[in-house]
Amino acid sequence: MDYSVNINVFQGPFDLLFHLIEKKEIDIYDIPIAEITDQYLDYLEEILQFNMNIASEFIFMAATLIEIKSQMLLPKKGKEEDPRQELVNKLLEYKMFKDISEELKKYEDESSCYFSKPREEMALTSDTRAEQLYLNEINVYELYNMYLSLIKKQNFKIDQEEKYKVYRETYRVKDCMEDLAKKIKKFGKVSLFSTFKEKGSVSKEYIVTLFLAILELTNNKGIRLYQDNKFGDIIITQERK
Amino acid sequence: MNTKSVLESLMFAWGEPLNISEISKILDMPPQSITHVLDEMIKEVNNNEDRGLIIQRFGSSYQLTTKKENYEYIQSLLESTVNKSLTTAAMETLSIIAYKQPVTKVEIERIRGVKCSQVVKGLLDKGLVKEAGRLDKPGRPVIFATTDEFLRHFGISSIDELPKFKGDPDDKDDMETA
Repeated sequence: MDYSVNINVFQGPFDLLFHLIEKKEIDIYDIPIAEITDQYLDYLEEILQFNMNIASEFIFMAATLIEIKSQMLLPKKGKEEDPRQELVNKLLEYKMFKDISEELKKYEDESSCYFSKPREEMALTSDTRAEQLYLNEINVYELYNMYLSLIKKQNFKIDQEEKYKVYRETYRVKDCMEDLAKKIKKFGKVSLFSTFKEKGSVSKEYIVTLFLAILELTNNKGIRLYQDNKFGDIIITQERK
Repeated sequence: MNTKSVLESLMFAWGEPLNISEISKILDMPPQSITHVLDEMIKEVNNNEDRGLIIQRFGSSYQLTTKKENYEYIQSLLESTVNKSLTTAAMETLSIIAYKQPVTKVEIERIRGVKCSQVVKGLLDKGLVKEAGRLDKPGRPVIFATTDEFLRHFGISSIDELPKFKGDPDDKDDMETA
């Protein structure tokens, strides 16, 4: 067979059909469907012998061709559209873009005659006098000054308000744990709310610390917690052995 | 400030196509005036036979390149030239996107008669096409359009410079109904 060409050469079923049409010098507006279908199927069969991984699109086109062929055999009813029309329209549209892409290829070849250079690698600072410095050769003050000048150059905005004061903690979880343990030993049970009341005014820090202390004590076992309702008082008792 | 001088230096340092909006920010000048100056420079520089560089426009980007006339000399200087040409599948897909943009993948596949996901992905990776939003239709499919890099790849200044279809050049709308 003279049309043993690799399937990969063809971009799709339209491409293959065009190859067959051009080879036989067929008028695209009057395609002898029977002949072309036979050739298309022969071609497909040959490819299938070598390559089973043929794209489904090629098979679909084969089915379409056979359908058109059978429609052509039926007697025409009045002003019915030529069954080949849709295929021809698709083929022509594809051909138009195929031609264009070949034309564009010339543009591509032409544009490869122009050379340009890649982008320069720009350093962060454009200071050409910048010299290589080694960290062990400079002291901390020089480093600090460099840092300041860099910040200034880059226009970084450093928010002066962003300062946090670190307070020494007034209450410690460990102390609260000891206090609570002593109270539980002495009274058998302790109410959380009355512990707050004893203090008079309580700070948020004290509440948090005391609560953490209770949780910590629970973790160590030895105590039991009771609460009758949500947000109600918490009663701490010694766990009965 | 000598605008033309600065522009030439910018284009040299940048190398790649430099976008007008970028230049506009640097020079603090409206894009229209920069475009005007650059177009003037193209006339002066590109027609000067004694120079080896020309300014090329690709959409809204400008680039300094060598002259086509000097191609063979440059080629003999360089050991091997890099082949950057696209595959046939890529060329067909790109042609459809270029002429029908913005266009969906389904439309491209309908015209080519084959699946195009991989090819489109390749073109996206190369920066030759971009996603240009979504179609307001069921499924809201992504629509694709060409980029300035596409223009650069084919050495044209705008989409209008693309080759015309054979026959009536204004036939573009007819293919929708064809």
